[in-house]
Amino acid sequence: MTTTLEQAKTAAIPQGGGLHRRLNMATAMIGGIVFASLFWYLAHHFLDATSRTYSDEVAGSLTIGWIVGFWLGIGAFVAPLRWLIGRDNTRADDLYLAGQGQGTSRYWKFTTDHKVVGVQYIIMTMVLLGAGGILAMAIRTELIVPGNHFVNQQVYNGFIAVHGMLMILALIVAVAGPWGNFVVPIMCGARDMAFPRLNALSLWTLVGAAGLLLTTLAVGSLTMGWVVLEPIADQAGVGMDFFAMAIIVFTVSTTVAGVNTICTILTMRTKGMTLARLPIFVWGAIIAAALGLYAFPYFSLVEAQTLMDRTFSTSFFVANAGGTGWLQANLFWLMGHPEVYVILLPAVAALFEIAAVMSRKPVFSYRSAVAGMTGLAGLSILVWAHHMFTTGWAPTLGGPFMLTTELISIPTGLFFLVLIGTLWRGNIWMKLPTIWMFGFIANFIIAGVTGIYLSDIPLDDQLHGTMFVTAHFHYVFVGSVLFGAVSALAFWYPKVTGRFLNEFMGRISFWLTFIGVQVTFLAMFASGLRGMPRRYSSYAFIFEHTNLMTTIGAYIIMAGMLVLLGAVITSWNKGEPAGPNPWHANSLEWMVPTPVPLENFEVLPVITEDPYNYGEELVRS
Amino acid sequence: MSTSTNKQSLKGMLWTWAALTVIGVIIGLYAPAWIMPKSMSNNMHLTILTMVVFTVAAAPVAAGVYATALFALTRWTHKGNDVPSAGPAVRENAMVVTTWLVVSTLLTVFLLIWGLGALAVDNGSTGKNPLVVDVTGQQWVWSFSYPGTHVSSPDLYLPLNREVEFRVTALDVTHGFWIANMGVQVDANVGTITTIHTTPDKLGTFDIRCTQFCGLNHAFMVTEGHVLTAQQFTSWLASQPQRA
Ligand SMILES: [Cu+2]
Ligand SMILES: [Cu+2]
Repeated sequence: MTTTLEQAKTAAIPQGGGLHRRLNMATAMIGGIVFASLFWYLAHHFLDATSRTYSDEVAGSLTIGWIVGFWLGIGAFVAPLRWLIGRDNTRADDLYLAGQGQGTSRYWKFTTDHKVVGVQYIIMTMVLLGAGGILAMAIRTELIVPGNHFVNQQVYNGFIAVHGMLMILALIVAVAGPWGNFVVPIMCGARDMAFPRLNALSLWTLVGAAGLLLTTLAVGSLTMGWVVLEPIADQAGVGMDFFAMAIIVFTVSTTVAGVNTICTILTMRTKGMTLARLPIFVWGAIIAAALGLYAFPYFSLVEAQTLMDRTFSTSFFVANAGGTGWLQANLFWLMGHPEVYVILLPAVAALFEIAAVMSRKPVFSYRSAVAGMTGLAGLSILVWAHHMFTTGWAPTLGGPFMLTTELISIPTGLFFLVLIGTLWRGNIWMKLPTIWMFGFIANFIIAGVTGIYLSDIPLDDQLHGTMFVTAHFHYVFVGSVLFGAVSALAFWYPKVTGRFLNEFMGRISFWLTFIGVQVTFLAMFASGLRGMPRRYSSYAFIFEHTNLMTTIGAYIIMAGMLVLLGAVITSWNKGEPAGPNPWHANSLEWMVPTPVPLENFEVLPVITEDPYNYGEELVRS
Repeated sequence: MSTSTNKQSLKGMLWTWAALTVIGVIIGLYAPAWIMPKSMSNNMHLTILTMVVFTVAAAPVAAGVYATALFALTRWTHKGNDVPSAGPAVRENAMVVTTWLVVSTLLTVFLLIWGLGALAVDNGSTGKNPLVVDVTGQQWVWSFSYPGTHVSSPDLYLPLNREVEFRVTALDVTHGFWIANMGVQVDANVGTITTIHTTPDKLGTFDIRCTQFCGLNHAFMVTEGHVLTAQQFTSWLASQPQRA
């Protein structure tokens, strides 16, 4: 399966192949639309139109048609089908599939090269953040003054649900997608992921799911938050069916990606790359992937049950037919809490990596870093009912769940120890990645302390369901994860493009975003403390000032993000050239040329020590 | 960096830490009571007290991280455009890691003990002749009825200094029954009754807001509540139309 770099260099576009070489995102969209129409037509004509669930059955069929057509149109099944009929891909076909000699068009295709997939994830993250961000601005604009002026309440409620879901998707992939794909295989000393075609499948499945999710807004009539609480979701229109199917498809993507990441890290490491010598980011990637494999099946399960309640008149969550909304809530949060750490861990692990490189020191207490991440992942599967303290479900479990939840402070504390210990008396190189890392540290403290309040039941009885909770998890997701993600982007951007992310624009963006986050979410804490519930489309006059502040802050964040977007776009071709190892780091991704050649290494390296030996030559000599 | 400047910088860091801790403690002592709604029940006193205690307990930890980060920014940053030389290659420090683990564990245990104690007080009933109020949520109104009286009201009326037991349910979808001034909240679920207790200890008016997303007019599912003296409450009850 390996090729030499010579072959890769000399070959232009590999010859042979057929129809599948012409497939790309456009054919995928066409396939999706054609099949969706076909499925809609069949369902429309052959299902019982008098049934109560008729419109949901039709909508469900249509969404299945969309994803099947999208997969076919992007060429996801070409290689397995060819294998089935005994005409397996040739070496030339595989190289073509890896994107050889195709310039930028390979970014819009079912391309298997892990670096192409990484870049596709960067684009995907920005699209999802952009769409979710536009909805956030619409929500904040509606809330700028009391009363409903800008959008009607029904539309507003849909915005709330889709904003939440889009941002969750964006952050799940924000670090693990781009860098878990682009740098993890190189860090391990591998030529690609363990299953390159599954890698492409995970990316394009995500695109298909995002398409469904965005369509929910057009179809409308969503009446629930992104948690899709039952029985309220039962009142939603066909938008709910699109929403549920988008989640089911999305979990296919995360499962495929998770298995691939784990297999790559476990089996594809080069000679001498023992687990103890792994760059710490690789640990973050594998722990997050494993946690995702545990968590996301609950998500597709709960959405499948919701869909069945709506189409087949089952009654998993229907209270007056033997079901219960508490079952939905349990299943949802069994996914929902671990998911927070699936999002957080890759960002934290990237920051450990960045802290070491930028302060020119080894990661302080590497073992604490690994233990902290593992401990957090382990605990996270035992805390889900803290989201249900006020539901009235199983009050006797309040104490035990308070215990497990508060224990989370201990591994989280280790993260601070590792970061602070790594910076301690370092020779800190103040570049963009470092600046965003300091932003993370400042915000993550606030996220952590406010999390402690919410883990305490008497306090949660006051704060649950209010804007305080919303502000808390926005400090986690925007203040912490987004800052970590931008730090990682600034850090590895030169490896992708050969150029630095514009330092000046990056700093402007940092200050706007950092100040915006404080204004937005500190004011939101105050709204919640004063008594404003979440998911409100309007509010009483006593919440006027804090809401105005939050909206102003949100606009500042948007300005910061737009500057960042400008920096990412303008630096791509015109940024300051960076060379293969601009941060003078030691891990393998910096040892290969930029742009990284297909299959990464001419000769696989042999590893004799971990990548953190800054200053140790001095000590030894 | 020589040892003496190191000592100096550490001393400065200690002062920064102390100053930030004091700021944190002051915020902790005054901000909750200042921002949060006026307390009208025993539960709310406990809620605010817990907020104060947790903030004060967290202040030195947060201040420690901020002080170190500020020092890193001012003293440990590399000046100039060249590549910085390597810092001290410290990989492990058994003392530091152990201390960190012990301190964070002790803090967690403290929070937990406080939380469990507060939980017992918060959710317990005194058992002394509580007034029972049946609370029913539906899209998008609350209604309150007083068992044994046939009185049903869209507003909530409570007597002062007598324990209330709310028995909460919903007719259509889940709603969240929350009295922000009393620190009590529980969901109203279809087909189930959930119970919470509180003892109002201040006369006055308060808002009841729905905390569980319940559809179109969720934001407008607000009702007034009133704490009356025992006498006023009795005469209010008597003046209400009796519904079957
Ligand atoms: Cu949680
Ligand atoms: Cu509501």
